Amino acid sequence: MGEHIVQLERATKAFALPEGGTITALHGIDLDVERNEFLTLLGPSGCGKTTLLHAISGFVQLDAGKVRIDGDDVTERPPHRRPVNTVFQNYALFPHMSVGSNVGYALDIARTDRKERNQRVGSALELVGLGGLENRLPRQLSGGQQQRVALARAIIARPKLLLLDEPLSALDRNLRQAMQIELKTLQAELGISFIFVTHDQEEALTMSDRLAVLNKGLIQQIDTPRTVYDRPTNAFVASFIGASNLFEGTVRRSSASTTVATADGLQIEAACAGGWKPGDGAAATALIRPEQFALAGAGATGPTIEIAIEQVVFTGLTFQIHGHTASGRKIVAIIAAIRRADVAQAEKDGKVRLGYDPAAVHLLPDDAPAANEAVAGVAA
Amino acid sequence: MGSLRNVGVVGLFGYTILFFTFIYLPIVLIVAYSFNADPINMMNWSGFTFDWYRQIFGLKNTVSENALYIESTEQLLNALRNSLTVAAFTTTIATVLGTATALALYRFNFLGKKFYRVLLFAPMLMPDIVLGIALLIFFVGAGVSLGLKTIIAGQCSFLVSYVFIVVSARLAGMDRSLENASADLGADEWTTFRRIILPQAMPGVIGGALLAFIISMDDLVITYFISGVDTQTLPIFIFGMLRRGIKPEINAIATLMLLFSFAVASLGLYFRSRRG
Repeated sequence: MGEHIVQLERATKAFALPEGGTITALHGIDLDVERNEFLTLLGPSGCGKTTLLHAISGFVQLDAGKVRIDGDDVTERPPHRRPVNTVFQNYALFPHMSVGSNVGYALDIARTDRKERNQRVGSALELVGLGGLENRLPRQLSGGQQQRVALARAIIARPKLLLLDEPLSALDRNLRQAMQIELKTLQAELGISFIFVTHDQEEALTMSDRLAVLNKGLIQQIDTPRTVYDRPTNAFVASFIGASNLFEGTVRRSSASTTVATADGLQIEAACAGGWKPGDGAAATALIRPEQFALAGAGATGPTIEIAIEQVVFTGLTFQIHGHTASGRKIVAIIAAIRRADVAQAEKDGKVRLGYDPAAVHLLPDDAPAANEAVAGVAA
Repeated sequence: MGSLRNVGVVGLFGYTILFFTFIYLPIVLIVAYSFNADPINMMNWSGFTFDWYRQIFGLKNTVSENALYIESTEQLLNALRNSLTVAAFTTTIATVLGTATALALYRFNFLGKKFYRVLLFAPMLMPDIVLGIALLIFFVGAGVSLGLKTIIAGQCSFLVSYVFIVVSARLAGMDRSLENASADLGADEWTTFRRIILPQAMPGVIGGALLAFIISMDDLVITYFISGVDTQTLPIFIFGMLRRGIKPEINAIATLMLLFSFAVASLGLYFRSRRG
């Protein structure tokens, strides 16, 4: 019995494109999934996250590499002989079967004793809050209820691992948020690992023990949501998770401080408390999250950036201030709604001075995308 | 402006009435005159009678002076029996082959799949008369004596296409992830076919079978070419009767066929609503 519930070794998969050529969906991925962990695979569409999930469930045959589940090499095994179950994106409930038959399907296939089967169907439905709906047809249920049936169906056979393929994407916002908490609770209750695929960063941050950010068939970073958010390993991760202000430039290092000097004349101070410590003259990108900016009062002591305000968006909890520096660089700052008087004043002035804490500035190796691409996250 | 609109509404309403009258009036008349007691002039209503129905089934007539229009009831029943036999065989064969073809094309990708699909559509577009002549030449050339067997084989050659198209349409609307879900829950391919694919294709299969049955019962042109001299199906028998003038029994037979078609169609609708 291995230590990890899932191990991928150099998993590689390329698909042939209909117009000729191939696209590499998995680029030799190594991944260890811990027991009893909630792991989220996050990335833009086409990043390989669904292919990775299918490689585990068996719907995708790897070109090279190995898949182990609970220590067993299952690389060559067809899906129906793997001890995992999946919650599909569109639920994939069998429309011609009742809710009870849907949920009991895995047990019927395994020829489980009738009495035990009915009892387990009942308790699985109970668990997802749909007790007594055995005789309904899937189409008589709401989207949220169908989602729960799919969940009950996937956990009834007590899989070693549950795979969830963007299961919440079809639900409305409130229901989605409620389901996020429920899924997390359910995972703890069942004591099995969940691998959850999504392109929604909020979902990923809310539920995961660990988060794997994928792009172009590679895992860019895998760590706790907080670490991924605070200390992204590269500009892609920084801009994909949360909104970011990225300042690419050259490191100026002295005994007292580290700054990143940008081509347009900004000096961004960084404390370099943890993580990457670049040497003097190295190319680096400084990351400042929008919420790390504060309105700098008259007596501010820390470093500041002055911007001309383009637009102020009120979201209830916060104000999003969109603006640009003298050189035209786009900046986004998020200010707590409690500062409404100061924000109103700044809006009237048309400009504002933003302060930041050098300890909150994170430095990335230089592979930053264009600056306006980097702030795109806020608009979404 | 308002009055112009009203004129439009009235005009459309009138057109709709005319349209449906044109379609259904002849059929209503046939049903009505199948109960007309006048044996000579069908259009002249001379009282209500079940005679023509009795006549069909060889029962004794209440109106004794009626000439015997059907030479023998036996001939009619024989034609009906032939039609039912042919329809039973062709429906079974065409449904099995058409469904299997549709499933194969749904499930697998292979070289020339598009061309294969076109070949399956072609018999539906081909003029009946061309298909009839071609089949006749083929059977005669192959030295097969014409009869029930050639009718069955000949009808199957185009009925498979109808079943294929109806079942394909049903399969096209099917969610492919259901197969994945079934496999994911531990079902092998055969179990997935039996428990997921087939039950979902079933309304299409039943619909295709009913369509094949109706078309088989109804086919005149192609069947006429390949039936030979001794074998008569119901449409051929009725066509033969018509050549000797329109007789009241024909109304009765047509009415019965109409009822039968309704029954089959209702059965189809029933299955659709139950399995939909």
